[in-house]
Amino acid sequence: MRGDRLMRDSRVLVIGAGLAGLAAAVEIAGAGLPVLVVDQAQAPGGAVHRQPLPGVRSIASGMQRRRWTRLMAQINAQAERIEIRCNTRFGGMDYTGDALLTGDGRALMQPRALVLATGARERVQPRPGWTLPCVTTAGAIQAELKTTAHPPYGRVLLAGSGPLLLAVAAELVRLGRAPVAVIEAGHPFSHPLSALRLPASYLIEAAGYLLRVKAAGVPVLTGAHVLAITPSADGLVVRVNTPRGDRSFGADRIGLHDGIAPNDAGLPVDGPVPVLRLGDCREALGARAALADGRAGGGRLAAQLLGRAAPDPSADLDLQRQAQRRLGAIYAHDGLTRLSDLPSDTVLCRCENRTLADLRALGSNPGARGLRLDGRFGMGPCQGRFCAEWVGRLSTPAGLPLPHIGSNRWPSRPIPISDLVDPSAEGLEP
Amino acid sequence: MSDRLDHDVIIAGAGVVGAAIAWHLARAGVRVAIIDATGPAAAASGASDGAVSVASKKPGVMARLASASLIYTHDLAAQGPLQAAFAARPAHIFGSGAAELAAMDTLAAKLNHLSGRVRVVADGGPDLLSGLGTGVDRLMTLEGEGHMPGHKAVRAYLAAPGITCIWPAPLLGYEVADGFVTVRLADRTLRAGQLVLALGVSSPDLIPGLPIVPRAGQLIVTDRGPVGALSGSLTAAAYLVAKTQDGAALPLLPVVIDPLTSGQYLIGSTREDHGDPTRVDFATLRRLLTRAATVWPALRDRRVIRTFAGVRAAVSDSLPIVGPLPGADRVTIVTGFEGDGICLSALIGREVARMLCGLSPDAALAADLAALSPVRFSKNRIEGAA
Repeated sequence: MRGDRLMRDSRVLVIGAGLAGLAAAVEIAGAGLPVLVVDQAQAPGGAVHRQPLPGVRSIASGMQRRRWTRLMAQINAQAERIEIRCNTRFGGMDYTGDALLTGDGRALMQPRALVLATGARERVQPRPGWTLPCVTTAGAIQAELKTTAHPPYGRVLLAGSGPLLLAVAAELVRLGRAPVAVIEAGHPFSHPLSALRLPASYLIEAAGYLLRVKAAGVPVLTGAHVLAITPSADGLVVRVNTPRGDRSFGADRIGLHDGIAPNDAGLPVDGPVPVLRLGDCREALGARAALADGRAGGGRLAAQLLGRAAPDPSADLDLQRQAQRRLGAIYAHDGLTRLSDLPSDTVLCRCENRTLADLRALGSNPGARGLRLDGRFGMGPCQGRFCAEWVGRLSTPAGLPLPHIGSNRWPSRPIPISDLVDPSAEGLEP
Repeated sequence: MSDRLDHDVIIAGAGVVGAAIAWHLARAGVRVAIIDATGPAAAASGASDGAVSVASKKPGVMARLASASLIYTHDLAAQGPLQAAFAARPAHIFGSGAAELAAMDTLAAKLNHLSGRVRVVADGGPDLLSGLGTGVDRLMTLEGEGHMPGHKAVRAYLAAPGITCIWPAPLLGYEVADGFVTVRLADRTLRAGQLVLALGVSSPDLIPGLPIVPRAGQLIVTDRGPVGALSGSLTAAAYLVAKTQDGAALPLLPVVIDPLTSGQYLIGSTREDHGDPTRVDFATLRRLLTRAATVWPALRDRRVIRTFAGVRAAVSDSLPIVGPLPGADRVTIVTGFEGDGICLSALIGREVARMLCGLSPDAALAADLAALSPVRFSKNRIEGAA
């Protein structure tokens, strides 16, 4: 039955060639251990340092470029111990310790340890029309800008909450396509004293974005929420609720963003070998923290594998955690309480096309099994990665723990069967 | 029955068998409650492939009972609770190599002998089924079998009026005294005239010594695609060997490809002696998928979105355990279906309800039902609660 048991690989497998994954790889390789880093993208960089397509100029800032150049120099200095495979997806690690990789770096291997550095995912709260074509996340627009240095077609509107909205807006302005509006649910400019307690680098960055967006005359509405997105003869119409009444905007492309969360759906929690989550994948604290956490975690893992004393924990991380907490307070808003006021035909689970009405038909507090088996929430290809949070909140009476409708077993992402079948086997052995 | 009782009958375990018993009792006017540690269809019933199959049953007692249950399931679907839960559909069996072909001969002979609702409507080469890939020497198509997802069946049975559902409520223990059973839950005790333990793989927790072991099977769910490309389940003949000849060396991998009404496929399955529903491994899944995609190449265009292991309750002699618990008056045990509960639930539900109402079983089935009695293990120290 298990004639095809694998030999233990001597390498540490790192999933994600972003800041956290690469920083960890540098530390692990620096301690003398071989590392295989895989990433689903065409080039290393992760979300923050996403690289332009060949022949496209980079739109990264000077600060970003310096950070990336420094990190890649450290990787190159360890080149004989670090292999980076791009266009490669992590399928998961099973209870025997087999790790599945698909794509260019296709393999079934038993790594010495597993580092998960898959970054953050964007949260997008359901709203009427959020599943329409040309409505994406704000991060997806940013990724497009970074890879193509070219703004999307037509009128762009950004909505939701968080510092990313202004960052994307500023990049759009710089590329000559000022967004028609930024719709921010929070009141970030009403907390000047809290803002002053943020690290200076945060403030300088944010002030730069805001100045550029304001100078371009982009309306930035705060305390404002998207009520509905509807298709129209010439694109999309966005109806917005503001403290001073409702307004409408026409748009061709909409970027939604309601903050970030660890991109950890379906990832193993532990295994027969050490499993470590680093950076935003463990705690969504942003780029600066990812770098610090990657370094510290990589150093800890290497010490553990080599039986050495663990290095001192990094104080940097606490600093970033504090800053993120302040940012959270600055951007605080009542968006969540608006969830239950959504029209009943609002789609919650886009994979299985399940609406708020379908959820309510399950009765009060249906629990995880009822939501999944009877409601089919979280049963599609994303397995709840995107809807679990909202479905959980909407289906659970206040005060009760949220049901766990997401999946924490592999595949962490849909895996093509053609990638799984054994190319060498006849498939007929017992 | 007496007013001193909260319920005439309490059923512990809201799987498909417990739910079927509850429905039959409620219909007979019995005040019935069903309790479950988690909720409806929380274990094997919810993880099943939903096959209502006579073909896969061991010849003899199991095949005869399954055949009778299939006929009754068709009745309950035609005008009864299973209308929306059960769907008749063909079953395709394929084989390659001498051992699988022989297993198909045995199957044809068994079905002929049963003369039930299931009959062979086609038997020949791989060209009988369009879309079939390579690695098939013989294909046999059966009619009369069907498909019934466990959670749908449980919901359908329990939707009937007169059934009290209590969960999550683990059964902590029970005592039989003074003409009733006292059932202990975390937050209360309930009195009933009778207790039915339909706890599947958890049965030994309440009945120490019961020869039940967990037997897990790895399952794969794909994403959606065109509905109806495959008209019914596509089962390797090795699966019949695995299910009908215990411990037999399998000629080939016992894969089952099950098209769901959603346009997804469910692909299984193994038989492994453990009870961990999260234990799946790439090497095994790769082998299952390799044979599945060789035989049904359309799978190569699909993606795996979910995997899990269903845990069946297996009995040492491969027969379910159904009947009054020796040494514990007023307690009936119904367990050990090892994945066959979906198929047998209708019949077992009806017969256990008759048993609890003091009626004698259907004469044609009496001997086969008697073979399921737990008395066959009384030497092994199974006993009711002290």
